[in-house]
Amino acid sequence: MQLSPAERDYLYDSLCLQTPIRPDARNLYQFRPLEAKTTFLPGSNGSARLRMVDGGECIVSIKSKVVKNESVNSLLECDIDIQGHRDDSNFVSNLKYNLTNLLTKNFPFDALRLTKKYSFKLFIDCIVISHTSYPLTIISLATYLALKTTRLPLLVSEIDDEEVEEQPTFSDDWEDSRLLHEITGQTFQPPIMITVGVIGKNLLFDPSLEEEQVLENGLIISFYNNKAITPISNMNLALNANKDNYKGIDQSLIISAINMVNKYCSAVIHALDTLIEQDDEVDGTIF
Amino acid sequence: MEVADIISISKPSKFEDVDSDIEMSDGEEPRDNGIVTPGELVTDDPVWMKGHGTYFLKDNTYSSVAGNVSRVNRLLSVIPLRGKYQPETGDHVVGRITEVGNKRWKVDIGAKQDAVLMLGSVNLPGGVLRRKSESDELQMRNFLKEGDLLNAEVQTVFNNGSASLHTRSLKYGKLRNGIFLTVPSSLVIKSKNHSHDLPGDVSVILGVNGFVWLNKTNKSTSNSVVNNKLQSTIDSKGNYDPGKGSVSITRLEEESSWEIYSDKNDKISATVRDNITRYYNVIKALSHGELGITEQRINLGYQASLQFGNIGKLIEIESMENICQDIITNERMRGSM
Repeated sequence: MQLSPAERDYLYDSLCLQTPIRPDARNLYQFRPLEAKTTFLPGSNGSARLRMVDGGECIVSIKSKVVKNESVNSLLECDIDIQGHRDDSNFVSNLKYNLTNLLTKNFPFDALRLTKKYSFKLFIDCIVISHTSYPLTIISLATYLALKTTRLPLLVSEIDDEEVEEQPTFSDDWEDSRLLHEITGQTFQPPIMITVGVIGKNLLFDPSLEEEQVLENGLIISFYNNKAITPISNMNLALNANKDNYKGIDQSLIISAINMVNKYCSAVIHALDTLIEQDDEVDGTIF
Repeated sequence: MEVADIISISKPSKFEDVDSDIEMSDGEEPRDNGIVTPGELVTDDPVWMKGHGTYFLKDNTYSSVAGNVSRVNRLLSVIPLRGKYQPETGDHVVGRITEVGNKRWKVDIGAKQDAVLMLGSVNLPGGVLRRKSESDELQMRNFLKEGDLLNAEVQTVFNNGSASLHTRSLKYGKLRNGIFLTVPSSLVIKSKNHSHDLPGDVSVILGVNGFVWLNKTNKSTSNSVVNNKLQSTIDSKGNYDPGKGSVSITRLEEESSWEIYSDKNDKISATVRDNITRYYNVIKALSHGELGITEQRINLGYQASLQFGNIGKLIEIESMENICQDIITNERMRGSM
């Protein structure tokens, strides 16, 4: 994406004003509208599809597999596939690392334990069909929706199988399957990641492609259980910019970014949860 | 603070089952202006000549695109509803430089191929009577470089569909003081004039290729022709000044200074910036509602948008649909539809 010098200056000046003016007039804490649908892949334990108004689109599918506890080192495996990027490119591996790191550190693994010997392993596959701005936010929101709606079959065999040479057996009835939070009995809100753009003294949520081109820095802040958590990282969100304004970041801005995330991101979780509630009935529309 | 102020997540809109009121044609007579889909039989009468967007199998003509059937004498073609912009001579377009080459620039105008802009087809600093020299060739990047936006007119279209542009008029040239957005090119309705001055000190250039430029109205070179005519007769104090406002050769020389290739923006007030974003969202709303974009509709949309104090609300799908609905109602009442 290339901008002409005049466009860059216009955008930069607008965003640096005391009351910044974003190109689409969003508030600093306002996200772009999303459209989402959950549980639409018949072969998956959980699935979600998220579309952004600018055409960005992500599909997440979650599948499970029964594994022996000692045979695996992690019960979660993420994979990200982005249209137009090689799987071994820095861009994709960074995203994958970010997501895996976030989830493995903040996940109720108890819900996946089946018996003393066996567990479920979850495979989280994200496909980004198209994206314009940095895709981490849509990937992580779609993962949230998919994890929240993941159903695992009900175990009918003994939990204590230390002595018996028996493989776990499950209820044939899919109606008996349980959501992750039903298994643990606690509320479960998967962690999400928010991209925050830094420009001048201003911070803006969910920067669009044009905004990314003029940002001075980008922050990625994780949010879990109603508060901002680590990992918090910073990066240059502008890809393929002909010229970027990338600069160091003022410490105080990190603090205010965390405050901003703390203040507004529970609304994001709320909106996602509301969507899941409304999405129960099967109406067959996925597009 | 409401959740909707921060984020709105909705279910994908449901397609309503449309009762088809068009009977599938048996192919005797191609329907004029009927909408066909790819692979649909348009006619089985072999007398029709096969035009663009059609293919021919065993005496039957099928559509290869989704679009409107058009008949010109015996020529049958299907004009696609969506697709890449196809340049035509005389189109006013907005484009972005992608490459600087030998005596020419390559310009992305959203067509299948990049258009060319020859060094000989631009105004260079120093007036009309100036010859292009070798030094001009060497400093082409000082005039226009990769990434620069400009508006131009399509001068010729070559056999392969690519276009050649020119900017030899004061209304064309490099773009400054504003913001760029794109809409599907099929939504821009061709008209006599594609640059308009809008209320609120904002001007718009609606490129026929769907590239749109919104900027602060430049007082000295006002876009609108009407404005010039008014000025030429009576200026603000009511004095009559015959030459004023009309484009004279002398002014062309004054304007053709380095100024026209400047990358520096003028000072733009926050109010104007606000207005620009409002128009930006209105045009996005029109494109969301698949309404043809004209100056009148932008104005109506702007009026309708004033009910939203917070312009940021306009990005929501519901508000965009509201605005489109308002525009349609308004047009019905005026009887212009």
